[in-house]
Amino acid sequence: MYVIIIGCSRVGSELAKLLSHEGHDVVVIDKNQASLDRLGNSFNGVSLVGNGFDVNLLKQAGIEKADAFCVVTNGDNTNLIAAQVAKKIFKVPKVIARVYDPQRAHIYKALGLDILSGTVLFASMLRDKIVESRFTSYLIETKDLGVIEIEAQKDLVGKTVEQVNVSGEFIVVAIRSLSGVLIPDPKTLVKEKDILMGVVKVASLDKIKEKFGIA
Amino acid sequence: MKIVIVGAGKVGYYLAKRLYRGKHTVSIVEKDKQTCEDIAKELEVLVINGDGCDPAILEEAGVKHADVIAAVTGEDEDNIIVCQLSKELFHTRRTVGRVNNPDNERVFAELGIDVPVDATMIIGKIIEEEVSFSDFVNLMSFKRGKLAIVRVDLSADSPVIHKKIKDIELPKDAALVSIVRGEEVILPKGNTVLEAGDDIIAMAMVGNEAQLINMLVGKM
Repeated sequence: MYVIIIGCSRVGSELAKLLSHEGHDVVVIDKNQASLDRLGNSFNGVSLVGNGFDVNLLKQAGIEKADAFCVVTNGDNTNLIAAQVAKKIFKVPKVIARVYDPQRAHIYKALGLDILSGTVLFASMLRDKIVESRFTSYLIETKDLGVIEIEAQKDLVGKTVEQVNVSGEFIVVAIRSLSGVLIPDPKTLVKEKDILMGVVKVASLDKIKEKFGIA
Repeated sequence: MKIVIVGAGKVGYYLAKRLYRGKHTVSIVEKDKQTCEDIAKELEVLVINGDGCDPAILEEAGVKHADVIAAVTGEDEDNIIVCQLSKELFHTRRTVGRVNNPDNERVFAELGIDVPVDATMIIGKIIEEEVSFSDFVNLMSFKRGKLAIVRVDLSADSPVIHKKIKDIELPKDAALVSIVRGEEVILPKGNTVLEAGDDIIAMAMVGNEAQLINMLVGKM
């Protein structure tokens, strides 16, 4: 694949190295030469200094033959504009932008851009680490579905996975224990210190937390 | 008219002042608190301290009922996003965005900003005109550069001197707009006779410019 990455931040440079290592053609653009230095000597893609929505620079970067375009600078507005330039002017098949501000992310998603916004996700993960003792949640990007982790205590030990599941609302998909990770059968028994990972409907989250005594 | 201005730097400030005198209802959005306080003391307009890229701030500034939004900050990114948000969320009829970097003009136009105003380009052109001694200056381009207004100074050796306008064969899609003769501005009619030293303001499709100048100056 021919991929253009705008913004050689930590995320941008990691992504560039990852893709380049897998054999993809990668071009990275950043405003500062210093950020491009993050790519190191082993990076064998192309790096360019400049503005990520400069039409001429993008042409120079080969955007007309790009399969994918990803913007991850620290500026939300820059990302939103660069993504629109790639999509509307150059019709790049895959365009992805990071946007920190949840509100702007929401608006532009509605306008048809593919946007990843880690802010709410990361904040809620941190919140859970701080507030909850037996419970962690990972919101899946749609906000309708989440993944939660529950530490098994007496109330759950000895029950089967089937008994723990709540039809239509919560289902255990994996169990982590000291011996590793297993994908359970309905009859698998929950043991002490097991960590149950399950998919939950966000609308049912409170109900599930209450059921397992972790509200 | 109700106008919301985002960005109260030099451009935003003078724009607000002019529009306000012209009896328009103006509100201003500005990030810097001190600037907001200074303006609030001087002009009787609504001043909102905040980021114009935040829909709640735009709403507070009254974008819902505004006829026009003018995003005139020093950042092209911000100006584009402000205009887009205003159009998408509040259906503002007319969005005007200041282009700081002429390279971004196309991006403004392609991303749906109704009127991109490229101040750098305009100032550059005016200065170019003042410093150059050429007979011909491109004053302004419209319609994304397809249509241009040019000024041509007629020198004594111009082939059209002492001719009536109706006897001059202008290229297709070109028109004389006015003739500046000393202090006088003449609206060109068929019988108007051109003289040496006349400044001719003409409009032409960009492809026909050279032909027009050829006609008037006799070289190039």
